Amino acid sequence: MLTPVPHEFAIGGVYLPPILIAAFIGILAALVTTRLLNRYRLSRYFFYPPLVSLALMIIYTVLIGTFIVGA
Amino acid sequence: MLSRKAKESIKVALAMTIAYGISLSQDWDKPYWAGFAVAFVSLASIGQSMNKAALRMFGTLMAMVVALTFIALFAQDRWAFILTVSVYAGFCCYMMSGSKHAYFWQLSSTVVLIISLDAGPDPVNAFNTAVLRAEQTGLGILVYSLVAIFLWPNRSVSAFNAAATELARTQNQFYQACLGLVQGQGDVPEVRRLSTTIVQAKTRFDQQLNAAEIDSTDVWELRRTWRRYQQQEMELMQALERWRESLAEVEAQHLLRLLPNLETFGAELDGRLAQIAQMLGDHAPDRVLQIQELAFDKDALRRLPYFDRATVVVARSNMLQLEQLTRALFETVSELKGYGTASAIPDPPRSLQSLFLPDLDRLANVIRFMAIIWMSWLGLIYINDLPGGTGLVSFAGALGIAIANMPQVSISKLVAPAAGSVLFAGILYIFLMPTLSSFIGLGLMIFGATFAITYLYSEPQQMLGRAFGLAMFVTIASISNEQSYNFLSVATTAMMFPLIFLVYATTAYFPWSPRPERRFVRLLGRYFRSSEYLMSTMRWDPARPTTRLERWKKAFHAREVATLPAKLGSWAPHLDNWALSSTSMEQVQTLMTSLQLLSHRMERLLGERDKPQAPFLVQQLLEDIRAWRIGIQTSFKRLAAGPAAGGTEVLRERLNQTLDKLEARIKEAVDNTPDAQYSERDAESFYRLLAAHRGVSTALVEYVDNAAAIDWAPWHEERFV
Repeated sequence: MLTPVPHEFAIGGVYLPPILIAAFIGILAALVTTRLLNRYRLSRYFFYPPLVSLALMIIYTVLIGTFIVGA
Repeated sequence: MLSRKAKESIKVALAMTIAYGISLSQDWDKPYWAGFAVAFVSLASIGQSMNKAALRMFGTLMAMVVALTFIALFAQDRWAFILTVSVYAGFCCYMMSGSKHAYFWQLSSTVVLIISLDAGPDPVNAFNTAVLRAEQTGLGILVYSLVAIFLWPNRSVSAFNAAATELARTQNQFYQACLGLVQGQGDVPEVRRLSTTIVQAKTRFDQQLNAAEIDSTDVWELRRTWRRYQQQEMELMQALERWRESLAEVEAQHLLRLLPNLETFGAELDGRLAQIAQMLGDHAPDRVLQIQELAFDKDALRRLPYFDRATVVVARSNMLQLEQLTRALFETVSELKGYGTASAIPDPPRSLQSLFLPDLDRLANVIRFMAIIWMSWLGLIYINDLPGGTGLVSFAGALGIAIANMPQVSISKLVAPAAGSVLFAGILYIFLMPTLSSFIGLGLMIFGATFAITYLYSEPQQMLGRAFGLAMFVTIASISNEQSYNFLSVATTAMMFPLIFLVYATTAYFPWSPRPERRFVRLLGRYFRSSEYLMSTMRWDPARPTTRLERWKKAFHAREVATLPAKLGSWAPHLDNWALSSTSMEQVQTLMTSLQLLSHRMERLLGERDKPQAPFLVQQLLEDIRAWRIGIQTSFKRLAAGPAAGGTEVLRERLNQTLDKLEARIKEAVDNTPDAQYSERDAESFYRLLAAHRGVSTALVEYVDNAAAIDWAPWHEERFV
């Protein structure tokens, strides 16, 4: 499978690195996921939620960077 | 006609513009440091502003000396330099949360970091940097002071007089409400409300006194008397609270029957408190002090069970103490207002605290703050092109010391003020500033922006928004004589904040979880561990000399028990809705009240336990009191393991049995002993000790009842913050 070619994002003439966009979306996605886990009381099955939160941010950033944004 | 809010905003904006104007005209580097001084010293009155300005200036001067010393000593050794700077910053963080001069320590830490980071890599210019910082801070303070004095001066004296009168009136109302309880016509919720109102009125009075001492010569000349009044007010407040609590233990009809002139006595104290408020409102007193006795009906007292006698003795002793305190307060206020002179009361001896008692929560704040400094400093060293560079470390440190001392505040609450401030300052910097070509235009922009921020964020609860707004404006605008414009500087500052917040969010877990419910349960555990230790110290034989370590541990745990309820109270409003899903906030507040009561009762028991007792009574009852103590100690141990581990019914039954047995044993012991073996004084002293023991038992049962009503299961569940 071909992954997107890394390229910068231009917003109003300002160029932003792709990893920044991937990290931003990754953090948002992790926040949404943790809120949902809290809401449905699934968070109680984790031993240490702060580390899970961090892991989710990294996983989402890498996945979005690799397959969607192209970082 | 301009509103007060508009006038204050104009003063800050004008001072900011003039400070920039002078700094730029003298071609001084970094004029925004003067802007910072104006932004952060401007408060509601001249006195408050001067007080804060003095702390800012002295904090800056202290930091200057410390930073230059560190640079001189460790200029060649990066790690030793970072270590000493961070240790000093940690020391300031520890001192900040327990000091009356918190702003001095905050500034000292912040400026040490700024000078170290600016001058550390460039030691040749270290002295110039430090002097420049002091110079710009002094300029900002001087300009704001002059503007505040000459333009719509707002002195603190009227607010101070109002605060003093309000405090005296509230105390009078509280006293009347408690007296109503004695007379069987009181309103318990109203008494509780007034108890909280007194604390708020006292806080306002303390703040206004600090300010009025500076901007009113009348208050300054009488400052020693005012400080004595402040101390006496504090003692009266505590005595009133103790009296209120003792009333819960005693039946009102017992008091009225056993103290025949209670009503006259009560009316005299009420009259005194009303006269104090009247004098503070600059009206002469209508009456003079009258000496009052509060005699017992001894025959009626002997007919009561021993524990009831004990509670009556304590209530009477509390009222006598109120009599002494209101007398002293009346005389002090007469002297302050020129209606008489106080009888020569020697100043209380200054208690020289020979033992250092560390505060674990303040140490936890230090750990977090040092982690903030080290994480940002290591990031600066090991990550290339970190946004903000040295500015990131000094900003993280400047804001971090405040964050570390407010662990209850969630980092997410800072995101909106920070983002809004960067956006506002960024728009001015990118779109407006490049169109300006003279100081007239620049001055108008500085005035307009400062006015807008201070006007929109003028309420005390909006201080965070105002601080962020002004700080971002002066930082991002970076006004200087060689002005340059670069989008990157705004983008870099904007990028710096996510990193700083990431550091704050990560360090929030140092050393404990930031979840309020976790902290709450942890503090409860600490409270009961300390209580258990204190109870275990009561086994000591008073004749046996205690070691220094034992005295230190006892003092440490006594301080823990006295201060932890207030600390728990600071976490209560931040409890997660999830934890409170099946518990109401009223239940948590009731739990807090019962814990505070238990603290006061423990304090009273410790005090009574240290007083000498008639040897025969001690010998007769030693075993029974020991059984009681071990029972309470076991309950504390269980509660330390879990807040709901008390077992209400079992505990209540066991304590009642112990107290009944103790009552029977006292009767037996006293009946079999000739009166000659103990004096009336011994008996009174013993009653007080008994009342203290029963007080702890009843307060503990009340706490366990309240704790059992709370569903603790969600408090222990893992959650994402």
